Amino acid sequence: MEEVEKDPEEASEPSVFSENQESKSGVSTQEAEEDPTVEVKEESQENWPEEEEVEGSEKLITSQRIIGLQRDLSALVTNIQTAADAKESMRRTELEEARRLRLERLENDAKSSQERFEEITRGWSVAKQKLIPQELQEALSNQQQLWAVLLEDKKKLINDLQQELKAGDDRYVKDLRKQAEELDLMMERMEEQIKTLTKAYREELAQMERVYQQETDVLLTKYKSEWEQYMKELLDKEGERLMQRKEKVEEYETIIHHLMLEISDKDSIISIEQNEKFQVQERELQQIKGNSMVAKLKEIKHEDDLSRNKFNLAHMKSRIISLRTDMKNLVEKCKSQEQQFTKRNQYLSDDYKRNIQQYECIQKKIKHFAAADVKKFEEMWLMIEAEVKQLVERVLVIESLIYKQHLGLAWERPPLPFMERSGPIQPQKHSRRPDRQAESQSFETGSQRMMDASVGPQLEADTESMDMETYREGREALSESGTEVDEGKLTTEMVKKVMELLCDEAGFLVEDKLLSLLAPLEKEEQTVVKLASLLTSFGIEEEDLPKLAHFLIKSKHQQRQPTEDVFVEFGEEAETNLTSELTDPKHVVPALKHFLEQLTRSRRSSAHQKSFQHVEARDASADEAYWESMGNVISEDELKLWDAAESTLTQYHAVLTEISELVPETEDLEQQNKELRLMLQQLLTSDL
Amino acid sequence: MPRSAYSPGSKLNPADDYSKMRRIIAEDPNWSLAIVASLSNLCLQSIVKNFEKKPTFEDLTAIQKDFVQERLSTSLPLRVTANLISDGVYWKRCCEQRWDLCDVSHYGHSWKRQFFERHLENIIELFIPDVTETKTVLAMVPLCRNYVKRLDISQLLPPVKEPQEEEVEYGSELTIDNEYDGPSMDHFDFNILLNKLTNLEELHLVYRVKQCGMNFEWKMFEMTNRDCESLARALKSCKTLKLLRLHQSHIEDQQCRVLVKHLLDHPSLRELNFSHNLIGDKGARAIGKLLNRSKLEILNISDNNITGLGAKAIANALSKNSTLLSLNLRLNRLRDEGGEAIGKALLSNNVLRHLHLGANDVTTPTAIALSKVLFQNITLRSINLSCNNLGADGGKALEEAMSHNSSITECDIHLTEVDEKHVAFINQVVWNNQKAKEQKRPAQESKTKTCSTLQ
Repeated sequence: MEEVEKDPEEASEPSVFSENQESKSGVSTQEAEEDPTVEVKEESQENWPEEEEVEGSEKLITSQRIIGLQRDLSALVTNIQTAADAKESMRRTELEEARRLRLERLENDAKSSQERFEEITRGWSVAKQKLIPQELQEALSNQQQLWAVLLEDKKKLINDLQQELKAGDDRYVKDLRKQAEELDLMMERMEEQIKTLTKAYREELAQMERVYQQETDVLLTKYKSEWEQYMKELLDKEGERLMQRKEKVEEYETIIHHLMLEISDKDSIISIEQNEKFQVQERELQQIKGNSMVAKLKEIKHEDDLSRNKFNLAHMKSRIISLRTDMKNLVEKCKSQEQQFTKRNQYLSDDYKRNIQQYECIQKKIKHFAAADVKKFEEMWLMIEAEVKQLVERVLVIESLIYKQHLGLAWERPPLPFMERSGPIQPQKHSRRPDRQAESQSFETGSQRMMDASVGPQLEADTESMDMETYREGREALSESGTEVDEGKLTTEMVKKVMELLCDEAGFLVEDKLLSLLAPLEKEEQTVVKLASLLTSFGIEEEDLPKLAHFLIKSKHQQRQPTEDVFVEFGEEAETNLTSELTDPKHVVPALKHFLEQLTRSRRSSAHQKSFQHVEARDASADEAYWESMGNVISEDELKLWDAAESTLTQYHAVLTEISELVPETEDLEQQNKELRLMLQQLLTSDL
Repeated sequence: MPRSAYSPGSKLNPADDYSKMRRIIAEDPNWSLAIVASLSNLCLQSIVKNFEKKPTFEDLTAIQKDFVQERLSTSLPLRVTANLISDGVYWKRCCEQRWDLCDVSHYGHSWKRQFFERHLENIIELFIPDVTETKTVLAMVPLCRNYVKRLDISQLLPPVKEPQEEEVEYGSELTIDNEYDGPSMDHFDFNILLNKLTNLEELHLVYRVKQCGMNFEWKMFEMTNRDCESLARALKSCKTLKLLRLHQSHIEDQQCRVLVKHLLDHPSLRELNFSHNLIGDKGARAIGKLLNRSKLEILNISDNNITGLGAKAIANALSKNSTLLSLNLRLNRLRDEGGEAIGKALLSNNVLRHLHLGANDVTTPTAIALSKVLFQNITLRSINLSCNNLGADGGKALEEAMSHNSSITECDIHLTEVDEKHVAFINQVVWNNQKAKEQKRPAQESKTKTCSTLQ
């Protein structure tokens, strides 16, 4: 604000025209007087609070000091302004005074000049009155003088005023300079003020800090000492308590130690006693336990047995019941089966009778058909033979033609024996013809036998005679056995024995597994099973069994006595011996071997015989040759000849056909020739 | 500038790209691994780049706004930024770029206000009538209307007038004729501006030219009648004005009366400052009339030519006034006539707090009159009678009065020819009063403080 207000003063200054040097100097002196006093005051005031501070009174004084400082320092600055104001007002009064003086002077001047002017004007009137030139001259010069004085006055006034103006200018310049100085001073003082104030504030702050520091220090030391004192007391107390505690602890420790020892002693004694008691009791307990255990086990066993028995009993009972029911069922079944079988037997026997009747009927039919077939065959044969013969004849004719005509050779009729023959070929006519009947019969018996095998051995007796005949034809050896079979039948017991023997001797052939399975069974069963397995392994059928038995016995007899036939007659008598002899097992195995060989041989032969029987029915081999010979009337070479002849003939035929085709053409050409000749003749004639 | 690093040109530069590809740049001590800025940063940078074409600011969050404010170019046209960007870093940067001294506390701690006020002041101060187009000023109005609260205009340029001077030399008659054909205005015409500034509260005006150098002319430091008329009308139209300061502008009675006439019944004017002018008694009478037809609280008419008659008029108004708090009549010619009148008026006034009668050529009778006031008045806080020849009697009367007074906290009686002892006594009383007042206010605080310090 102060600066701002200072400026306008400067600006307003130029409006001033007059000045007063003296007043200015007066103001300056006044100011000069004032400044030191102010400074002195300031100093004294600065000293004063410091002294007070030194005295030790506190805050209030410093704050007062600050206020004083603020006040004084701002006063220092404002003083300049007021001084400037004073100067300005002084200047104004001076200006007014000067103006007044000037006005007065001007008025005086105006008055005096007016007087002079009046004087001059009066002078003019005087001058007018003057008639004498000298006087007029005088008056005029007088007037001139007066004018000159007036002019001089005016000039002086003007000069004065101009001087004043100049002085005013000078003063203005000086004022400006002075104001500048004052401004500088003011700024300086303001800066100083700021400095001192900041210094004072800093000092105050420092002092305050110091005071606070002191206070805090004092308080701190106080608190510290108090703290230490309390701590010491506390420590002492604690130490005492600690000591007491320690002592007590030691005491208690010793007491506790003693107590511990005593108690441990007592405790150990008691524990030992207790241990002993405990051991005794344990032992007793174990004994009791053992007893109870034994009893328990017994009981358990008893109960177990009981329960098992009961169970077994119940089981058995139930089984018995079931078995009884089974038995009943089985008896019933047996009865029903028996009834069934009887019924069936009746039925089968009826059937059998009927079949026999049928069979007889069929036999008759067969006989009839066979005769018819033969007749038919012969007829057929003759017919075809005639036909073939005709064909042969024709071929022969053709061949003769070829030979005679084509080749120009002489043809000889080849020998043709079959041409004389007629009827079917019967190369064994003489030997077989009478047997033909028998042959068919044997055939019948073969088939019959096949049927018999299924019916059973009982029926064998009926066909016995037939068998005997057929067998005797093919196999001599077995015919004997066949007779012996009849004998063997009678001695089933012997067969049994033989079988047993066989089983025993050839047991090594039975598999071990089977033996182990058969072990628990009874001997009879064992033999049966063994026998079955043996027979299957040998490939012997059931019906061969008697044969086998017989063979075995026979072989033994043979070994004993080379002549077999003798003993055969005494078969029955030797029966008893046989049994004893059969006990010799040594010969069983070779005998068996022998039998098996024989058996296989016989079978093979029987198979052969059967096939032979079928071929024999009609010997077709001769037929074939017969027919072949007929077909081969023309030999291979001749056939080739025939082929060549054919080819030449075909060629010849082709030539012929060509010729036949060309014939009409030649005929046409001849016709044309004729016509042309005619035409030529005509032309010739016409030309002519 | 960090922005240059992100400009699209540098991105196209392969060498730059290559350096960006590198993982380590040993030769650059400031290099750090964070190469790629986050997407939001990139977006903000593009916003900053394209701010002129597509200004987006309101949608951003507070942090993003800060980011943008930090980076926006200060050369952006004001029409984009003025009403969009709120007060903050951006305006600070603008201010600091344009001016060296930027005391934001002087502008209500608002950088934006500072920027616009100073900008507008600059425009007005460099306004040359009939050369500068009024558009330049009017264009600013919609931009700064909401932010300008004070205009402190330190110079107003006169119109250019080369041809006139020649004419003056050749013939005086022509100049008289040409006076009306001359410039349309003598200085900037505030009529076009003041009624549009809806927030204007303070107006400081000086009709002068700074740094005129050797072209000095008295005309440069005067307010003409035309200026006065236009300014008065402008002031009347500005309803929000609270403070008017028109100083050092060669205001005479006539002009003062014109201004006052238009300021009568102004709805908001609180402070009037006509200091350092040439206002005489007629002007003072007008101001006296204004005092009771307005809500003036502070009146400063120091350094004028007011004498006893004018002072009487003011005193008369003062005796009936109930709003004026401060009256400054420093450096006038009131004399005892005016001083006594004011003293009498203060007897019936109990509102005035500050009175400055320094350097007014008043003497003992005024001192006696004022001492009577000091006896009974309890509202007066400060009184300044410096540079007046009060004399010993006056000092005595004042001393007596001060001994009964407890409200005066400032009393300046330097250079008043009063006895030292009276001065000392009066100063003592003033200090006591000050102390009492200070203790009254922070009594409890100081008490607690002293208690704490004592403990």
